[in-house]
Amino acid sequence: MTVVARTWQRLTIPGRVLLALLVVGALLTVPLVLLIVFSDELLAIVGANLPIVRFVVAATAILLMTIPTAFVIIYIEMKGIALMNLRIGPDRVGPFGSLLSVVHGLKVLMKEDFTPTGADPTVFTWAPVVVYLASVMSLLVIPFAPGLFGQDMNIALLYFFAVGGLTVVGLLMAGWSSFNKYSLLGGLRSAAQVISYEIPLTLSVVGLLILAGTMSLNQLVLNQSGWFTNWYVFQQPLGALIFFIAATAEANRTPFDLTEADSEIVAGFATEYSGMRFGFFFFAEYVNVFIISALTVTLFFGGWNSPFPMPDIRLALDPGSLGIGLLLVIALVPLIGTLLFAAPFWLLRSSMPSWQALVLGFIVFNIVAVTLVLGWAFISFDWVAGLIWFMVKTYGFVFLFVWMRGTLPRVRIDQLMGFAWKWMLPASLLNLFVTAAAVIVVGALRGGR
Amino acid sequence: MDRLFRRRLEARFGDRLTGPVRQRHDQTEIRIAAADVADILRTLHDDPEWRFELLADLAGVDTGTHMQVVYHLWSVTSPDWLRVIADGLCRDDPRIPSVTFLWKGAEWMEREAYDMFGITFEGNRDLRRIYMPPEYTSFPLRKDFFLADDAARSPGGGVRPMERSHSPRDAAPGAVRQVRA
Amino acid sequence: MTVTRNLLPPHASADDPRITLDEEVGGIFENVPPYPPRTEREAEFYTLGDGEMFINMGPQHPSTHGVLRVVLKLDGEKVVDLDPVLGYLHRGVEKLCENADYHQVISQVDPLEYVSSLFCEWSPVMAFEQLLDVEVPRRAEYIRVLSAELNRIASHALFAGWMALDLGGLTPILWSFIERDEIVEMLASLTGQRMLFNYFRIGGVNGDLNHDFMSRLGDWMSRAVKQIDNDTGLLNENEIFVRRMRGLGVLDRDTALRMCATGPNLRATGVPFDVRRAHPYSIYPEIDFDIPTRTEGDCLARYLLRMDEVKQSLRIIDQCLHQMPDGPIMAKLPRLLRPRPGRAYASIEGPRGQYATYAISDGTDQPFRMRIHDPSFIHLQMVGLLTPGNLVADTMAIMASLDPIMGGVDK
Repeated sequence: MTVVARTWQRLTIPGRVLLALLVVGALLTVPLVLLIVFSDELLAIVGANLPIVRFVVAATAILLMTIPTAFVIIYIEMKGIALMNLRIGPDRVGPFGSLLSVVHGLKVLMKEDFTPTGADPTVFTWAPVVVYLASVMSLLVIPFAPGLFGQDMNIALLYFFAVGGLTVVGLLMAGWSSFNKYSLLGGLRSAAQVISYEIPLTLSVVGLLILAGTMSLNQLVLNQSGWFTNWYVFQQPLGALIFFIAATAEANRTPFDLTEADSEIVAGFATEYSGMRFGFFFFAEYVNVFIISALTVTLFFGGWNSPFPMPDIRLALDPGSLGIGLLLVIALVPLIGTLLFAAPFWLLRSSMPSWQALVLGFIVFNIVAVTLVLGWAFISFDWVAGLIWFMVKTYGFVFLFVWMRGTLPRVRIDQLMGFAWKWMLPASLLNLFVTAAAVIVVGALRGGR
Repeated sequence: MDRLFRRRLEARFGDRLTGPVRQRHDQTEIRIAAADVADILRTLHDDPEWRFELLADLAGVDTGTHMQVVYHLWSVTSPDWLRVIADGLCRDDPRIPSVTFLWKGAEWMEREAYDMFGITFEGNRDLRRIYMPPEYTSFPLRKDFFLADDAARSPGGGVRPMERSHSPRDAAPGAVRQVRA
Repeated sequence: MTVTRNLLPPHASADDPRITLDEEVGGIFENVPPYPPRTEREAEFYTLGDGEMFINMGPQHPSTHGVLRVVLKLDGEKVVDLDPVLGYLHRGVEKLCENADYHQVISQVDPLEYVSSLFCEWSPVMAFEQLLDVEVPRRAEYIRVLSAELNRIASHALFAGWMALDLGGLTPILWSFIERDEIVEMLASLTGQRMLFNYFRIGGVNGDLNHDFMSRLGDWMSRAVKQIDNDTGLLNENEIFVRRMRGLGVLDRDTALRMCATGPNLRATGVPFDVRRAHPYSIYPEIDFDIPTRTEGDCLARYLLRMDEVKQSLRIIDQCLHQMPDGPIMAKLPRLLRPRPGRAYASIEGPRGQYATYAISDGTDQPFRMRIHDPSFIHLQMVGLLTPGNLVADTMAIMASLDPIMGGVDK
């Protein structure tokens, strides 16, 4: 081992990088060779178990997707609230401070991660995992685009609420195992809050289920295709409102964010957490925001449908038919494009040196090219269109949540519980009965005709 | 300066005042013995002729020779502030009846006087230290309390008047600042 | 239950008797308080009933208005009793003033209520002027009133923002600070400092009005009303804010007088006692302004009352500007001040209440006793009176509505 240590010491930095790459490459060669040699058999296995493979890929993709989503939402919140507060917000790290949330994530990884004396180590360690998993598992059933979902179960909505209820367990675990009165208070408060608001949440969509006749989220979105008047928000306005309010309370967002009310009980159930464990809670909250926005959009606002029926344009582009011309196009178009877009800058601003004009031209060409490609993808692939519409609508709701956080103070625990049990629950029951009655009456009228 | 007020005070409390009623600017001052505090202040508070319902301040004073407790009262019946000086508390064990039965807000003011001077207010339900930690043994605002100050201890120190008065060197026994107040 | 070694203090070990691992109590918690109770009230407070527990809102807390330790006795979420522990910011200002010149007292006394420093300076300065029988020139008095009323508006702006922050709203405090920043910049161009102004002098003020100050003031006055209405509109019409504050911490007239409350806390209960009108000082008799009073006595009334006072302060500033006489800004005084032996009491109406100084002079160049009466100190007693029966979240709301500043409480 000393040979290795001495060699390592004598290498320069590029040498060390190369050595590391060599080692990694050597290690990777073995699986690569195995993959190539057994490729046929592997493909056969994959083909035979396609649903499982698809599920594994989808689950991994969702898991990996949550972190960048959390980063984006954290940035939106920081910048949005700052602008509402008439201050600037993140400014330095990255363009307009957009990389700040990434840095926050890295910082959270690097902090000391300790367990307080007297805390129950197993429960303490597993609490953030449970909370995070509850959030991530709910993402499995949300349809992002036609064909782009984790799993299309015909009890998708029920699965969603069932998994969302796991959050309570995680919060209670965190509050109890911290061995701290603040955490206990916070954990109990949030458990009470989440449980109270689960009932109006579930009841408010039952009206929707009666109308749609299915619990499959994919089917619900398909039912809302066409013009935006097909969206369920126009058929179930009260249900949508109750769902929105109850979802805000479920996700512990302002005005219902007493659990993390830092002006009262420091950080509530997460007081004793630091480092990556706190990072789990932190990310779970923002993933929750994304989930409730996504669910609101899916259930009531058309999911991945566009507000108007998209005309069926097919751009018959077949790049392969160009043959060798394709290589010429790839070589020449960027060059010509750069020169083309640089020309106005160079001609109209005589003080600009030509290399600056070329750089600007290149940037403009890139922007134009990406827009064109995206536009073509949007038009030709319906999943691209669906995904973009879905994301636009979801982030609109995310912004709405951020807006509420910046504007409203928080309610008190007894006002919150009173509101849930005395107002939301009867309202959702009313919604349910009126919907059921309407369906029966309309059915009888139609059937009788 | 309310002359009528002075006459009324002398008429009512004349025998219990331990000094003349003094008036200056907008303040009228009476001096009473420490034992009479509860009585006189209750009269001033409850009596419809006086109606001194607002206790503006309760202060302890260490004159160097003895201690005082000074009350400032305000009433709608007079434009002057009334200053009641309960005089003559001995410096070894200053005791005075508490006025918390009239004004609950005096509780903390008496706690502060106890903490800073050591004056015991009999009848105060909560006579413990308020600023200093509970284990503290001295009474800081007394005139024989000297702060252990680095400047005072240093060899060249004690040049500025502020440091000199802190210095234990100047604290010959009995060399405590006094005033006829 | 094991004790993790790296969390113990260096000299302790798991066998250290100071760390009790008492199986019944549940481990690490020491007895509260760690000494036997010495007074009736302490014994009453530190006896736990059935199902009650202590929670310590320690000196480091985002919501106690400074370094204040509050021990709460809770029954679940409801507060049964409350014991504030003071002294974390005690600087011994009264003792320091006894060893300072009369002029040096002004800078000692500034950091008491650091948010409204000019009032902290005004009261001792008035007391010393009584001892010296000095007459302050009229122009100096007008400048004092002008700058002090500006400081009152700044203090109330801070109060509004802080109140909203304690209730959970993140935006109003930043908007209030825009207000406060403008005023504080104005005062900086007048006095040289943004916060601990050190501006009033015995016999007058330190510097005359200058062009920068007047232009900023004029600029701000022209948009002040609209801006303040905009900022407070975010809160006054907010259902959640109003619901949380209405009916909370109701103080009635007799309790307020018994607790020696003054200022907006007293006026919100219906007693129209304002030192500027009840016992006029300076040039307030020449200025026309109203004393807002409300009768409900709850947190919302206290908040709205302070906003009304801001409007009245604007009126006062306007009149000061119009009636400003010419003349000197400082009376002629010797360098070394030796007032006659005697006693003086000066009381002014600060933004929090009556701010008073009782000064005893012994004929030397240092005050013999400088007693500072601070309204925040008195009002903090009321937190223990008003909170029991409410929830933990309301403790913050009540404390914020009484507007204590710990610098003044702890002196």
